[in-house]
Amino acid sequence: MTGQKKIATVFILMLFLITTVLSACSKSESTNGNEAAGGAASSADGNAGKETITLRLTVWGAPEEVEPYKNVIQKFEAEHTNIKVELQHIAADYDTKLTTMVAGNDVPDIAMMESGSIAYPLAEQGKFYNLQDFLATDSDMNESSLVPNITYSLEPGNVIGIAPGPETFALFYNEDVFKELGIEPPPSKASEAWSWDQFVEVAKQLTLDKNGKNATEDGFDPKNIKQYGLNLPTWWGSYSNFIYSNGGDFVSQDGQSFALNQPEAVEALQKMADLINVHHVSPSPVQAKNIPSTNVALQTKKVAMAIDGQWASSALAQSNFNFNIGVLPVMKQPMTTVVCAMFSIFKSSKHPEEAWELVKALIEPEASIDMLKAGTWMPAARDWYTDEALLAKWTEGLASRPSGYKDAVIDVLLNHSHQTPTGYVKNFNKIMDVVNPALDKVWLGKESAQEAMDSIAAKAQEQVKGRRDIAN
Amino acid sequence: MRKGLFYGLLFTSPAIIGFIIFTLGPMIASMVLSFTDYSVFKDQTSFIGFDNYKTLFSGEDEFFYKSLGVTFYFVALRVPAVILLSFFIALLLNMNVKGRAIFRTIIYLPSIVPAVASAMIWMWLLNPDLGLVNSVLRWFHLPESDWLYSEQSVIPSVVLTTLWGIGGTVIIFLAGLSGIPRQYYEAIEVDGGGWYSKLRHITIPMVSPTIFFNTIMTIIGSIQVFNEAYILTQGGPNNKSLFYVFYLWRTGFRDTEMGYASALAWVLFIIILFFTFIVFRTSKSWVYYEGEGRT
Amino acid sequence: MRQSRLALAAGYTMLLFVSVLFFGPFLWLIRSALMDLSQIFSMPPEWIPSPFRWDNFHRALTILPFGTYFTNTFIIVISTIVGTVLTSSVAAFGFSRIDWRGRDTVFGILMTSMMLPAAVTLIPSFLGWQMLGFYDTYYPLIVPAYFGGGIFNIFLLRQFYLTIPRDFDEAAFVDGATYFQIYRSLIFPLSRSAIIVVALFCFLGTWNDFMGPLIYLKSDSLFTLAIGLQMFQGTYTAQWDLLMAASAAVVLPCVIVFLVGQKYFLEGITLTGLKG
Repeated sequence: MTGQKKIATVFILMLFLITTVLSACSKSESTNGNEAAGGAASSADGNAGKETITLRLTVWGAPEEVEPYKNVIQKFEAEHTNIKVELQHIAADYDTKLTTMVAGNDVPDIAMMESGSIAYPLAEQGKFYNLQDFLATDSDMNESSLVPNITYSLEPGNVIGIAPGPETFALFYNEDVFKELGIEPPPSKASEAWSWDQFVEVAKQLTLDKNGKNATEDGFDPKNIKQYGLNLPTWWGSYSNFIYSNGGDFVSQDGQSFALNQPEAVEALQKMADLINVHHVSPSPVQAKNIPSTNVALQTKKVAMAIDGQWASSALAQSNFNFNIGVLPVMKQPMTTVVCAMFSIFKSSKHPEEAWELVKALIEPEASIDMLKAGTWMPAARDWYTDEALLAKWTEGLASRPSGYKDAVIDVLLNHSHQTPTGYVKNFNKIMDVVNPALDKVWLGKESAQEAMDSIAAKAQEQVKGRRDIAN
Repeated sequence: MRKGLFYGLLFTSPAIIGFIIFTLGPMIASMVLSFTDYSVFKDQTSFIGFDNYKTLFSGEDEFFYKSLGVTFYFVALRVPAVILLSFFIALLLNMNVKGRAIFRTIIYLPSIVPAVASAMIWMWLLNPDLGLVNSVLRWFHLPESDWLYSEQSVIPSVVLTTLWGIGGTVIIFLAGLSGIPRQYYEAIEVDGGGWYSKLRHITIPMVSPTIFFNTIMTIIGSIQVFNEAYILTQGGPNNKSLFYVFYLWRTGFRDTEMGYASALAWVLFIIILFFTFIVFRTSKSWVYYEGEGRT
Repeated sequence: MRQSRLALAAGYTMLLFVSVLFFGPFLWLIRSALMDLSQIFSMPPEWIPSPFRWDNFHRALTILPFGTYFTNTFIIVISTIVGTVLTSSVAAFGFSRIDWRGRDTVFGILMTSMMLPAAVTLIPSFLGWQMLGFYDTYYPLIVPAYFGGGIFNIFLLRQFYLTIPRDFDEAAFVDGATYFQIYRSLIFPLSRSAIIVVALFCFLGTWNDFMGPLIYLKSDSLFTLAIGLQMFQGTYTAQWDLLMAASAAVVLPCVIVFLVGQKYFLEGITLTGLKG
């Protein structure tokens, strides 16, 4: 009897739960409907007079990186009382989330994006405004007011995105290691940059085995290295610097053929691989987000020098040791690759003018001064590099900006920088899907760069679809 | 029998209705999409018949066969390792020792550590030059390995990192073990049998339904391995950890070729279905259900 | 007797060894949570934080609205557990203790829901929920739990139900019991340990689920702990000290839930008492 009662209770409880859930669901549906109606009403009001509009913006980043955007939005809303900005912070799997949003027609007005992921697939389907139209007529922000290589174009004249700031590569080093060994530290001026051979020679002197012998001495034991001369990431951002420096490229000038198997590129790749496998001055390749990171590797003297993006400055500034920045060694000409994210405005936005104003506000360096000072970011506006007072704001007297910074990073960016391959090589990801596995063999010393690139040249060629920076 | 059908459907109706509402629709949708050139960003989608499947099997797509091979290697290595190790640990944890609760918690802990944190821990531990594991090996003058960074050792290394998270499987085994009545063991003891005959004649048959469950779930889970490639290896080095579902995800989301990715998914579906079916079929000969006395 | 003591000692030793292997990386998480960024990756590795950075926890948990995230996660977890335990145990009963034509076929069909990679059903599922007007609500995360709670759980419980001797049911039938009574007063209590396992898995699965909330939620105010954790990964660098502290803090409730939950399947069930 009691058993039966209990069953009854359980089932009533279940029914109750299901009905509450369902009724709650239908309720929310009706509120949704109300919202839609409300929205329509307000836009109708807008037609009548003052219009209150909402702009939606999606970004990723750590809390400290999102903070500047929140400040910008606050200021922006105060200046434009009729505009409300909705900031949507997507913590991870950004592209997956944005893709489902596009699939569901729930598209933001402005999105931050990575050039190597879904920005171009979206742009190819005509999803973005051509920002060239704005740049051409805007008096505050145009191409000459921005530092080089931070805009992305689908084809010449069709700008799909503008970066909030550039990032370049440089040679970070531990000053104490150089002092202890009595070796001249890396130059910071591009005009005085080390040649590749000089660089290799220094790296060898800096590489010590457990008996204290360096890599130039007889009896050096490459199996028991205590301190490496150099840490060299092996992702495309890193090696592209040297391919460009050596006059090579990922695809040919006309965009018609695969070019990583050409002499200039092959030589650069081979020389980098030799650092690992022939000279034993650089540890075996690890992932792009390598652990331990540059600051720890340098601080603990596991490595003496490290090639990394300038964003490493932030973590280095927080570590307690004397680090400095030198210019990258040169193969034929000084060169660095500029990598950066971008802001784009979706075509579906009903308020492109206002969205453009917001993009401008987001890019304005003053708003992100904390990130600039911390060392993570660099400003997008050219006058923040050329105007002494503005430059001092983010480079003077800061732990993140040591003495070599202005020459090795700022001067190189302004005068010797190259656009990231993701910005002009069509179908870049698919080409790299073929190239990366072959390069893994090169970094591991199993094949020469020439062999590896030749072996996949035909397959890579199938994926070559042209360049975005030339008219087809 | 008629009554049985009514009550059977009644009891299972929430699950059946749930399947039809929440699962069947998306499944059919992806099946249909596998015959199209669907890309999320394109406004136009057209039917292309079996073209996606033809591309897959024609050998035009080298990553298809490569990722299939990598995944099978992983599954062949991982499934026995997970089942044997977790069964062994469950037996240990089922002993009547002091501090059992603590031991159980320790074994279970790793499976609740967020994936980002545990991936980061493993990358650090397995770093060839600077990581802790190689440092320890060096200390004992044992041969070192490049772990996740060499072609030969990447799959075994990934298997190793996943073994850290077998807590769930262990717990299921434990629940199975706890259901074995003590009297059965006592009967063996009376007959003078030792631990082996207890294991062979009582424990294994009695937990065979649990072994069966864990085997099926481990197979299904291992074939769909994704996170390890996504967070740890990105498919490298030299595509030696290009797991099938990672490749599928890359195709569908990064390259936005969702139609083709759907075709990839349905091929995998058939493969998983096949293996599950095989295990179900063989189960009749080795899984013992006390509740199925009636034949 | 002597032999069993030896076996116990051997078992103990192995248990300790395995525990050290499993606990090592976890200890590393905890000590990282108490270090500053430069000490976390120091070489050779250090195990004792110096100084102890207890404020990592404070910073990690205040930099984001973790209180809200916790409440949100709690709501979802509780609603999901209730639904899953109720409906999966009922469904498993239907798939194991009742004989009906087509039972195993239907079960097989339900099993297929685990066989298609989620990457290709993600967008269709999202579109479905959106069409129903449930985007940016918890319904997509909770409602499915009330419809079987996932075939994994049904399958698990089915396996346990099948180990219970049929004589029990037969005896109950003779006494005039219905299927509902058998389920409620016989099968459900007898498979208590398995049901607790289901509840536990459901708790942890929901607690750690990242993809579901990421896709179906839009408003910050609805976000969960798993989403909060991911936010410490920046564009160029990750705040590992805060990430580790937040991870440790998020794992802690799980540890407590487990410590409590595991007590219930510590004790083996003796069937004799019920037979009479």
